[in-house]
Amino acid sequence: MSYNFTILSPLDVPLFTHEFGTSRSGGDGIARFTSTERAQNPFILHSALDIVEEVQWGPSSTSGSAPMYLKHIDKYQNNFISCWITGGNVRFLLLTRPRDEALGLTQGGGQRGSLAGGRAGLGGGSGLYNPTSPATEEAVKNFFVDVYENWVKTIMNPFFAVGNGEVVKSPVFRARVAAAAKKYL
Amino acid sequence: MNPLQDATPRPPKYPADLDASMILPKQRASPASSLASLPYRRSNPSLQKLFQSTASISGSRPSSGTATPTPSTVPGSVFSPGGSTQNGTGTPGGLPPGVTDEHRNLIQRAFVPHVAVLADEATEEMLRGKGLEGGLLQLLRPFGELVPGKVTIRDSVGAGRSHEDFGIRFVGVRDGLVPPTAPGRNPELRVETAPGQLQGRAQSQARGQSQVRGLSSGIPRPQRTGGHVPQIEELVDRHLQYSEFNSHDMVPDYMNHKEEPAQSDVSSSPFHTLYLRRLLSGLPVVSHETFAHPVACVIAVSSRHPNPTEEIRKLYSLQHDGELRMPQFVENDYLRYYVLVHDEETGDIAHSNQTFESMKRHFGFHCHLLRLKSQQCIPSDDDSVRLPTCEWMSATEELAEIQKRETSDDITDPTPYLPDSDITAIRTFVRELVVQSVVPNMERKTALWNEQVLARRRGLSGRFMSLSKRWTPFGSSSRNSSSPAVGSSSNYDSLGEFYTPSAPEAVMRKLADYSFMLRDFKLALSTYDILRTDFNNDKAWRHYAGAAEMAAISALLAPGPLSSKSRTENVDSWIEAAAYSYTDRQLKPTPYFALRTLALGLELLRLRGSSAADDAARWAARILEMGIVGPVGHALFTERVSSCYAIRTGVGALALGSRRRKAAFWAVLAAENWVRKGNAVQSERCLDSALPLYGVNVESVVPTATATTSASMGMATMSMGKSLTATLPFPQMQAFIDELRQAILSLRLQNRGIGFHGDGDEEGEFDTETINAGSEKGLERSLLVEEATETLDKSPRSHRKSLIGASAPQPIDVGPRSPMLERGEALKMDDRFE
Repeated sequence: MSYNFTILSPLDVPLFTHEFGTSRSGGDGIARFTSTERAQNPFILHSALDIVEEVQWGPSSTSGSAPMYLKHIDKYQNNFISCWITGGNVRFLLLTRPRDEALGLTQGGGQRGSLAGGRAGLGGGSGLYNPTSPATEEAVKNFFVDVYENWVKTIMNPFFAVGNGEVVKSPVFRARVAAAAKKYL
Repeated sequence: MNPLQDATPRPPKYPADLDASMILPKQRASPASSLASLPYRRSNPSLQKLFQSTASISGSRPSSGTATPTPSTVPGSVFSPGGSTQNGTGTPGGLPPGVTDEHRNLIQRAFVPHVAVLADEATEEMLRGKGLEGGLLQLLRPFGELVPGKVTIRDSVGAGRSHEDFGIRFVGVRDGLVPPTAPGRNPELRVETAPGQLQGRAQSQARGQSQVRGLSSGIPRPQRTGGHVPQIEELVDRHLQYSEFNSHDMVPDYMNHKEEPAQSDVSSSPFHTLYLRRLLSGLPVVSHETFAHPVACVIAVSSRHPNPTEEIRKLYSLQHDGELRMPQFVENDYLRYYVLVHDEETGDIAHSNQTFESMKRHFGFHCHLLRLKSQQCIPSDDDSVRLPTCEWMSATEELAEIQKRETSDDITDPTPYLPDSDITAIRTFVRELVVQSVVPNMERKTALWNEQVLARRRGLSGRFMSLSKRWTPFGSSSRNSSSPAVGSSSNYDSLGEFYTPSAPEAVMRKLADYSFMLRDFKLALSTYDILRTDFNNDKAWRHYAGAAEMAAISALLAPGPLSSKSRTENVDSWIEAAAYSYTDRQLKPTPYFALRTLALGLELLRLRGSSAADDAARWAARILEMGIVGPVGHALFTERVSSCYAIRTGVGALALGSRRRKAAFWAVLAAENWVRKGNAVQSERCLDSALPLYGVNVESVVPTATATTSASMGMATMSMGKSLTATLPFPQMQAFIDELRQAILSLRLQNRGIGFHGDGDEEGEFDTETINAGSEKGLERSLLVEEATETLDKSPRSHRKSLIGASAPQPIDVGPRSPMLERGEALKMDDRFE
């Protein structure tokens, strides 16, 4: 699985981007986007903001409280987007691109002929990626919580004017995001 | 053309392999390839007429909505799904701003009664003498499409409603039939277009011969049968190429294209309309729907015939149970309408009148005396009128027509001309046929079936009947003996996959289709709904899909408001079920019908505005995901997703709930798709619609307020040291769009091809090479690659300079080259902003 983690300012300016792969189940932590996917990622993330805003300002699904973690909110083809909103309306977006096997796309050529093909296999099989499964949601949440803590520490730096949409350049922050990614995703 | 058969969503390719994809434009392996690759002759007026439907890209189309969306008309919390009861409940009458009724009318006019035409040899002979190779059918067809004047139709409760745009479709007796070898109706998209093209050519040549033989049409003539998606793709591609090569010059285009969005409908391209129209033209005759089954049959004999009454009897029996009979699943006892064709010039009117009287005595009320002139008419004659073009030709037919005209050296318009009096006579005939025979007959049948079949089925006993059918213990005990319970208890022939025409299910389906064609959508909806459960119990999946499809469409076409709940619960699940049952549940999937379901559903949902537009976009994306369209359809529907999202305007100052970014994203995807297909004009149009959505003003240097702030921040952080300019939020996005612009530009230049003489020295180099290459496509293609890689280079300018010399002037003819582009090049140096 490949991930693209992006922090966006309230005005849709990207403040931080980090690409990484999964470290679970023998993953080496390197993102495996194809070049076309890599070019597309910013567009997908940016278009997901429409849904983020809708979920953010729409009627609350959890009674009363407004959660920071909005869970899985959007999907474009095989890319799943999860979101976390901070108090300052800074959006953390995590784009997940599961491997093809995890989507049931590469299961033999036998299904090639039938239109049923991929989708029938997609629904039933086990071990397929499911963005709303509790385990996935929990892992992403832990990752976001960790990053959020580091984010708060970063923006407390008096020399860092996050209000002006300053890009995060701190290598420490990047290292910590990478550590959180390695730990949870 | 790839078949795109499996459901795996394929990620679009991006410019990393853009140059690769530019090496491989559409391959046409047919002998027509050399033809197709040539730029079209610009001076062929007869050809031009064929492309008229898409040629008038801007203006002139009726538009009922205003072009600019005004947020103030959008009710309350429109952005929250389920938050307000008004959500997406808009009636089709009250359209959201910026939307036209065009597609709704198109869909209404697509499902109309079909009337078969059968004429005797003498009539065909006489019409061929008039220059109508296609005989009576060719003569009548254009006039059936729109019945002059208002047509009043009574619905099931007896209330009359008048329609201005009612029409019927004249078809050949065995048109629309599927060849017996492929009963599953185009079980797959053909892999390559070449055979289809060959076939089309062969047909266009064979057509003349087959029609010389006139009556002996035991051979099905498939070219009037639609429902073949690759053919539709091919046709739209032809139109696209035509517009590409015959568009205005670049410079005027550059001047004009600022005004274009104001004139035309913001959302729909003429090519998409054409695609839809051809999708709905020539509906195939199938067992699971009766739209293409004839409602009536016109039997025409000439007054020259010595014994017209006898000839009519012969034709009738030939058609009723002879070799021209429709297949088993088509009901055979439809209305027959008898026409005596009188020749004004050689015939004796007294004699004709006498014959006509005797015809009336024999056959009753449904007769008409059609008086035509037998002489050929030429355009320069006094009161000659051109035979109108058929709007609802099938794709195959139009393709054949285009090819015929392209290959012929004759530049005059081959369309026959008719004297004015003929036209009037035919108009009167068609109106009489529709108003006095076809519509009342359908009304009567609808009422009859409603009373006899539907009411019984709906009543208490009917419910019990269907219950007893489902659970054999409740039914008669004799059922227990037969093992396949479903087969024995239902009327469904699971082997042939049809219901016999007399079965109550078939009658009800006919009732529903009739009421749909008569635009009584309420009755249609309730009938389809009952049918849906019946077919479900019988496991007649194709029939089930058909009922679900039409239920969804009639629910969406019904004029009343549709609550958001019933929309999401019923319509969505119906569309879903139809698309699924048409493809995945079939032994022989019918992607054409699935495509029709989704495409119509999406258009009608889109008209309902706001949150329904979200669903519309979802269905459009589903079309792409299912892979049931070829490259042209892919690009068109990608564009459509964008326009569906664009219709959703937000509320308040922040425009919450709008889908601006999504619309922009899909528009960029569409632009990219068009570039890959080689359509620069379309691509540019998409890109130009995308950039304003991103808040980037294409032309002006003064950006909008929000863009300024965001850009200023972006710029500050990127420490570019540049003045305030409008760019996209992500630098990668900007880079991507700049590359796309470059690609469009080079594509445009290449499409212009040889028209570069006397341009700047930069193009001179390109020019000479083109001349050397001649018109040979292969060489030109390699040239293109060279050009493409050059322009896609990191810094094209420096590269060019090295070739040409230090003082290369700015190219004059490079087309819409905005200041932004220059900036973009500078920006590209700093791709990774960290």
